[in-house]
Amino acid sequence: MSKFEIGDRVTVRNLPALFHTRTQGYTRGHTGVVVGLRPKWVIPEDEAWGRYEGRREPFYMVRFNQRELWPDYGGAVIDTLETEFSERWLESAAAENTAGKTP
Amino acid sequence: MSSTLYAALLQSIRAHAPQERHEADLPLTISQRRAEAMLHVVHDLGGQPDGPLDKSLHKTALWEKRTHCTAECLAWRGVWVSEERRRRENDLGETLYFGTPYYARWLLAAAKMLIDKGHITPDELIAKMEEVRAREEDAA
Repeated sequence: MSKFEIGDRVTVRNLPALFHTRTQGYTRGHTGVVVGLRPKWVIPEDEAWGRYEGRREPFYMVRFNQRELWPDYGGAVIDTLETEFSERWLESAAAENTAGKTP
Repeated sequence: MSSTLYAALLQSIRAHAPQERHEADLPLTISQRRAEAMLHVVHDLGGQPDGPLDKSLHKTALWEKRTHCTAECLAWRGVWVSEERRRRENDLGETLYFGTPYYARWLLAAAKMLIDKGHITPDELIAKMEEVRAREEDAA
């Protein structure tokens, strides 16, 4: 069962990076929309350290507005960027707002 | 290695080393900000300040193709996966990561991984490197 559906607004968890990551620094704390679902796969936190049969999670393709990611973005307003996250790196943007936190 | 070759190697290493050393090169403590900068994950380049990107095309050399094949064969035999290779490239440290060509990082990561996992020993690898060097020298 996937936690998120296509169209859900999600915020990337803003956690420190350590040694290796597949969650780009520039996406952390930013909010985008789920545009694709990927089958479960071993999370990078296990696979990168030799645990090939490690924890499996759904992955999501998330679309961000470039202006959301880069405050000084000089391109068109409609420009977007898509990248992939394992489930643990995402939280519901709606839930975040009700908790009164700012991304 | 002859003393002439060793002297030349030293020269070359000195050219890469800092020209001056300060007490701060061996700090007992550093600031939180500095620690965060030092621990920045080297392959996470998006948004980092940088100069213009060189987009010129590079013709793949034979050693690069062989490196790619070696890495894939090691994966095929279950010795590692590409995600682990990327992590091991980061583990080489910034000097080697940014100072060596793309496929040299693959090669260094593969060599260290094979030693780490006990598939080869460093002396075996050294002996092989010497054997190849001698062979290439004879051929030249």
